[in-house]
Amino acid sequence: MTLFHFGNCFSLAYFPYFITYKCSGLSEYNAFWRCVQAGATYLFVQLCKMLFLATFFPTWEGGAGVYDFVGEFMKATVDLADLLGLHLVMSRNAGKGEYKIMVAAMGWATAELIMSRCIPLWVGARGIEFDWKYIQMSFDSNISLVHYIAMAAVVWMFTRYDLPKSFRLPVTILLGLCVYKGFLMELFVHVFLLGSWTALLVKAVLTGAISLCSLFLFVTLVHSN
Amino acid sequence: MFEEASEVLENMLKWSVPLSLVLFLVLVCPLRAEAAHEFSVYRMQQYDLQGQTYGSRNAILNTEARTVDAEVLSRRCVMVRLADFSYEKYQKALRQSAGAVVIILPQNMSTMPQDIVQQFMELEPELLATETIVPVYFALEDEELLSIYTQTQISSSSQGSSSAAEVLLHTATANGFQMVTSGAQSKAVSDWAITSLEGRLTGAGGEDLPTIVLVAHYDSFGVAPWLSYGADSNGSGVAVLLELARLFSRLYSYKRTHAGYNLLFFLSGGGKFNYQGTKRWLEDNLDHTDSSLLQDNVAFVLCLDTLGNSDNLHLHVSKPPKEGSPQHALLRELETVAAHQHPDLKFSMVHKKINLADDTLAWEHERFGIRRLPAFTLSHLESHRSPARHSIMDMRSVSSLEGAGEATAGPHVDLTKLSRNTKVIAEALARVIYNLTEKGVGGDLQIFTEQMQVQEDQLASLVDWLTAQPRAAQLLDKDSSIVNTLEYYLSRYLKDVKRHLVRADKRDPEFVFYDQLKQTMNAYRVKPAIFDLLLAVCIASYLGVLYLAVQNFGLLYGFLRRVTAPRVKQH
Repeated sequence: MTLFHFGNCFSLAYFPYFITYKCSGLSEYNAFWRCVQAGATYLFVQLCKMLFLATFFPTWEGGAGVYDFVGEFMKATVDLADLLGLHLVMSRNAGKGEYKIMVAAMGWATAELIMSRCIPLWVGARGIEFDWKYIQMSFDSNISLVHYIAMAAVVWMFTRYDLPKSFRLPVTILLGLCVYKGFLMELFVHVFLLGSWTALLVKAVLTGAISLCSLFLFVTLVHSN
Repeated sequence: MFEEASEVLENMLKWSVPLSLVLFLVLVCPLRAEAAHEFSVYRMQQYDLQGQTYGSRNAILNTEARTVDAEVLSRRCVMVRLADFSYEKYQKALRQSAGAVVIILPQNMSTMPQDIVQQFMELEPELLATETIVPVYFALEDEELLSIYTQTQISSSSQGSSSAAEVLLHTATANGFQMVTSGAQSKAVSDWAITSLEGRLTGAGGEDLPTIVLVAHYDSFGVAPWLSYGADSNGSGVAVLLELARLFSRLYSYKRTHAGYNLLFFLSGGGKFNYQGTKRWLEDNLDHTDSSLLQDNVAFVLCLDTLGNSDNLHLHVSKPPKEGSPQHALLRELETVAAHQHPDLKFSMVHKKINLADDTLAWEHERFGIRRLPAFTLSHLESHRSPARHSIMDMRSVSSLEGAGEATAGPHVDLTKLSRNTKVIAEALARVIYNLTEKGVGGDLQIFTEQMQVQEDQLASLVDWLTAQPRAAQLLDKDSSIVNTLEYYLSRYLKDVKRHLVRADKRDPEFVFYDQLKQTMNAYRVKPAIFDLLLAVCIASYLGVLYLAVQNFGLLYGFLRRVTAPRVKQH
């Protein structure tokens, strides 16, 4: 399936990022290096998470079929570090709320794309053997982009000092959903035995829902003042 | 000015480094993806015998799979199941210059009906006779291979029959398979040594005793070397020889029964390749040494070939034995024993003159006959051309301990008949060396009973061991475990166990073997090129939609703002 297929998967994964970058006006603000800094923060946060997980969480020895709910839940909790990282990035950037959110989300998502998707695509999609999973991986990266934008927006809203009391609860719930989304997805796949395309669809729907809610809250917050 | 130049240079450098890196990676990185299925395949024979080439010349393949009913077969790997295999289809594939032929054999041959097995056995020599550059492989069927075959069959048979839309849909959903072998091109094996083993039991009573030679070739032959187990031909012969060695060594260990004949046992290699082992052994013993048992007083040479089945026993001779010769004595004793002790056995003599104009000799005794040694071959087969002597279907699939009612399709070993034949031969030999007929002993007296009995489980375990691995001559070099075990077994019962090596002559080789007989084939799932284009079009349209969505994101934003605004105003 060779290079053409690799090109297909790569463009499917990468072009949305490119489009988002160009069309959201970030290029006018010379935000390239800030995005790279956000990416570097992503790397650092992932490293810390991995060290933490390796040190404090024992390996699961219960057998292959049983899904360790509690263990995976604890591991997902460590993903709170992601939120801290996003907050760190946004606090270092001066500017409007949207600018901060977009810069942080773009940088974060692009770093994740490069780190976790490029090499599997390079090695796998270029081989003779064809597998649908590479296309699915590329779609997944699109979904992650939307997810990270939503997550950055929610984090930004959470840290605002002028957040109305009525918004605290929804924002917290959304924050929790963002962090545990991966865990929820695995839960669904395991319990309902979803196929790979169905799982992707569910993930897209979930992310879409989260992002719509966060957009709604964001608009309300920004334009209520 | 300099600043501008430096800026331009900087920009160029900024873009050239990643570009060159990408190019480097593209050109250098080798790929090895995981295959949909990996399985062992066994290649058809490839050998030269006395200057004539046989079999398939080629080993590598990297082609797409098709089944035999597809229209376009050129440069494709044609997959056929044994049940659907016929010579016409094979010829068709070769005529259309197929890339390769893979014949899928069932795991358990006994599930195949008799006529298919017979037909295949008759085709085997024809397959080998036509020398071809197309690699021909045999694979054993398992579930995944079967599913690959059915998928290939569906896509092969639907080509060229449906409309453009169907074809388009078909390309998106169907799976093609690319078959790739992992090995290199086949080349001749240099300096292959065929090993033969000899051992003896010396007779009692001084020198110049007559010698009886018992010979069996231990290698097997079939259309694929790695699949030739040779149960009946010649695993049965080897088992009989080893059992006779055990029985007579027991007799010779007691002074009272130590007879006045030397017994020379010879396990020859390369038997299926025109008896190379025997030929060289005879040359060495008769031409190149001063004294050898073969030079002095040879009573007769008895070759054992395919004795594991059937109620017939034929003694093949090239010259009818003269009255009064030891040969004639053995013939008479065999008739006596068969008539008195085993009436169900039909014994007869078959006379066939040696035809030196033929490519290969018929039976092993002809080698001895050429050197003027009296010899015959004992076999249950009537003709040397019988397909049972050269077939991969000759396997030991049913043991006599299991249900005796199971009819196995191909040639196989029936242990009761094998042990009966062993007994007949042992009794006849004993009558000759102890001269029992002249002493007036009746034909009913059985010597090999009770403690001296022919042990059927010994024969069973020998045949089981011999058929547990393929014994083609190309696979048994002088360090192989089979040769070593045979040597060990002989040395338990016989004296002076020696190895004899045959290497092909450098300038004019009698036999040349080729390697790459067993390969691992990978089947990769592939999609046709149209699929890639289709996918590219879909992705382009998806990206177009996405672009429009992002451009018009403001609409969504405005909509939400309008939704939330009245609520704010109401505050």
